[in-house]
Amino acid sequence: MAAASASSFIPLKPRPTPRVKLGAPQSFSFRRPALAPARLRISCVAKPETVEKVAKVVKKQLALPAETLVTGDSKFAALGADSLDTVEIVMGLEEEFDISVEEDSAQSIATVQDAADLIEELVRKKCA
Amino acid sequence: MGERAAAASLKFVTVQANSASLAEARARVFEFFKTTCRSIPTVMEIYNLQDVVNESQLRSAVSSEIRRHAHITNPKVIDMLLQKGTEELHNIVQHSKQRHHIIGQYVVGQRGLVHDLGTKDEGTSDFLKNFYRSNYF
Repeated sequence: MAAASASSFIPLKPRPTPRVKLGAPQSFSFRRPALAPARLRISCVAKPETVEKVAKVVKKQLALPAETLVTGDSKFAALGADSLDTVEIVMGLEEEFDISVEEDSAQSIATVQDAADLIEELVRKKCA
Repeated sequence: MGERAAAASLKFVTVQANSASLAEARARVFEFFKTTCRSIPTVMEIYNLQDVVNESQLRSAVSSEIRRHAHITNPKVIDMLLQKGTEELHNIVQHSKQRHHIIGQYVVGQRGLVHDLGTKDEGTSDFLKNFYRSNYF
């Protein structure tokens, strides 16, 4: 995953290439390292309690009254957040879930659901 | 300290060239803000601020400092402000400042102790409150 997070980093060791013996039947008895795609958008739904926690952080940050409905589809811009607010919300989520959000992942967050999905993915990677 | 603070501390070594455009300056502002937010746990530990303030209050203090200059459009001015901000952050993280500096500038700030704003301020008008805070409202 190092290649995914630092795009300017030049890997020192080349990845192992498959060696095929001439004349032997084509059998890959070893396993190629599984390449995880660099930007995988998980399309499965995040857990509702994650969405709840995200909504709580958002409401506190934007000082919204408690009865405002913040659902998965609410866009940050629609709730009255400017770009600095969005960054601050992402920072608040980083602190709340103890994760570290990459620069390019942070750009793609537009709704509460995006944030919750990204958090789930990062938490899963962290525990894995 | 955690990986977040360790990642943030690497950035102090670089010296940045001038921003070519407003978009680049804007991106630099967000980078600076993120570095600052990621250093907040370190700062709280260095200066023992756990009883006085919590992380989100410091974060909103930082963002209100940034927002005070949100109306500026000249990239060179933004670069200069970022340089001052980076220098300030560097001083704070390197423990060149002392606890009363941090409390006076970022916890108490211009508005009184952040979590003491309560019933005594309810009667005053909004115009006066905004006026005390800054020129632009």
